[in-house]
Amino acid sequence: MDIKRLHRRHALSLLGGAAAVGATGSAFAQAEPPKPAQLVVNHSGGSMGTAMRKAFFNGFEKKYGIKVVETSPVDFGKLRAMVDSGNVEWDLTEIGGQDAIRAGKANLLEKIDTKVVDRSKYPATAQNPYVFASSVYTTIMGFRNDVFKNGSQPKSWADWWDVKKFPGARSMRNHPTDNLEFALIADGVPKDKLYPIDFDRAFKKLDQIKPHVTVWWSTGQQPAQLLLDKEVVLATGWNGRFYDIIKKGAPVGIEWNEGALKQGSFAIPRGAKSPYWANKMLAELAVPQQQAVYASELGYPGLNLESLNFVDPKVKPFLPTAYLDQQFWVSDEWYAENGTKAAERWNAWMLKKG
Amino acid sequence: MNRSIFPALPALILLFVFFLFPVVRMLGFSVEGGTFDWYAKALGEQLYLRVFWNTFEIALLVTFFCLLLGYPLGFLMATTTPFWATMGFIFVLLPLWTSVLVRTYAWMVLLGRNGVFNRTLIEAGVITDPIPMLHNFTGVLIGMVHVLLPYMVLPIYSAVRKVDPAIPAAAAGLGASSFAIFRRIYLPLTLNGIFAGSVLVFVLSLGFYITPALLGGGRVIIIAVLIEQQVREALNWPFAAALSAVLLAATFAVYALAQRYSQPVETTR
Repeated sequence: MDIKRLHRRHALSLLGGAAAVGATGSAFAQAEPPKPAQLVVNHSGGSMGTAMRKAFFNGFEKKYGIKVVETSPVDFGKLRAMVDSGNVEWDLTEIGGQDAIRAGKANLLEKIDTKVVDRSKYPATAQNPYVFASSVYTTIMGFRNDVFKNGSQPKSWADWWDVKKFPGARSMRNHPTDNLEFALIADGVPKDKLYPIDFDRAFKKLDQIKPHVTVWWSTGQQPAQLLLDKEVVLATGWNGRFYDIIKKGAPVGIEWNEGALKQGSFAIPRGAKSPYWANKMLAELAVPQQQAVYASELGYPGLNLESLNFVDPKVKPFLPTAYLDQQFWVSDEWYAENGTKAAERWNAWMLKKG
Repeated sequence: MNRSIFPALPALILLFVFFLFPVVRMLGFSVEGGTFDWYAKALGEQLYLRVFWNTFEIALLVTFFCLLLGYPLGFLMATTTPFWATMGFIFVLLPLWTSVLVRTYAWMVLLGRNGVFNRTLIEAGVITDPIPMLHNFTGVLIGMVHVLLPYMVLPIYSAVRKVDPAIPAAAAGLGASSFAIFRRIYLPLTLNGIFAGSVLVFVLSLGFYITPALLGGGRVIIIAVLIEQQVREALNWPFAAALSAVLLAATFAVYALAQRYSQPVETTR
């Protein structure tokens, strides 16, 4: 609690300039816009919602006496419809990385108030004026460890493509993102030379793996379920979904090498009813201790680099931030520009026989 | 005049506000900026034509199998004892009240490589390798037929109920075979029900989304998936609207065609 108050004071000091000098806590409180009865936060729902309530929302409600109303799912189209119609129901919403960049450019978002939200401990890549990086997740390989025993699982995308040495049904995401990168890496492109993506080369490589992919998954829970049901023995998936079933004792392992890192993002829709309090919520999401609570629940650590210090050592091996060097960052900027083209190529490729 | 239209007024207003107005707005989106480019793209590119064709193919097959299964069931329910009719209703309607998502996941449990069906067959020694029933076209077909069957059974049931039982009884008394009774009495008199059920199932299939996405393993691409991509990922609403308008027009065309060919039969026999 004390640390939190300290943190708040730290944020206050960041107000900077003459305005902040001599401003007491009470003067600051007077300058605050009136408290709304509720703050609507839109997120993906499911176990993520449960973890967010435990790590952030309960504390926020207690601290400010503002009820946090949760809605889901995340929907870019709905965000645009809300902003266009001027009827913005969400004060804060989770948003996909590349969508966040496009939404910022399309004037659909409010700027983040850096006086309220302290991002000084965040890496430079997580300082977008419109986008708050709430957590890190990665697409990695999950495998049945009763099939690939004692570390005999594929350890690179080249291995993943090697169906003779690593036989068995595979599942990958029904989406160009991640897969194009995996294909290029398997074909020998270095991790830092992936962008701009060479479509022809990537799809040619994907042709080779297509007959061995029994399921192209479309929802995040599918890969974990497919491994549990032994429908496949190898599946790409989001680390938190595998962490969840491993915690519950499933015979599943994670191979982190060459995983595709992405940041989970939150943003304030333009015209939100209580932007000031939405920023206050973001400040709450930036507290390293609370990020550690969240990471222990879901396996998705925050980007406040201090948060790893507060995580249970037993949980650390399941967090993508422990393997940053072995992985690569997916370029949200590239997809913001080329996402539509990639999706069309992907659909056409999927329709192709074989 | 006014008096005759008055009772329907609330329904008409509701339809106008919640159906007609949004559809017109959507059509407006599709020609935003006064250009028909998005229609040219929807109707000109191989990818979209293929997917439209896939969608109609699946809808036709689903309708066919629903009719194949639904007619005998509806017929039995309409002609059996009240007890069995009630049982039939429970079995037909119960799934209708269950979420599509739940039913789709249930099929995943049953049809998978290690699902109930395959395991039973393997343990019984009927097969050695699991039959691929999930994550392909077969899976989508099974799932969709199951979800949509009630929409076929109910109209057929009510059509069969309306047939005066004295007519088939008279025919039987005059020595008609059961097949002749079916072909010359029940079939023409229940054509309305068949038509209504088929149109319902066909139209609902065209817009199906969850079942193909989950049971098709990503391989079965239908137009609803592409429209969703345009709305939510690409945020290209004019193109999404154009795709929807083409789907709507095609649906109307099929409907008009079906109505045209179903009516003469009904009146001449």
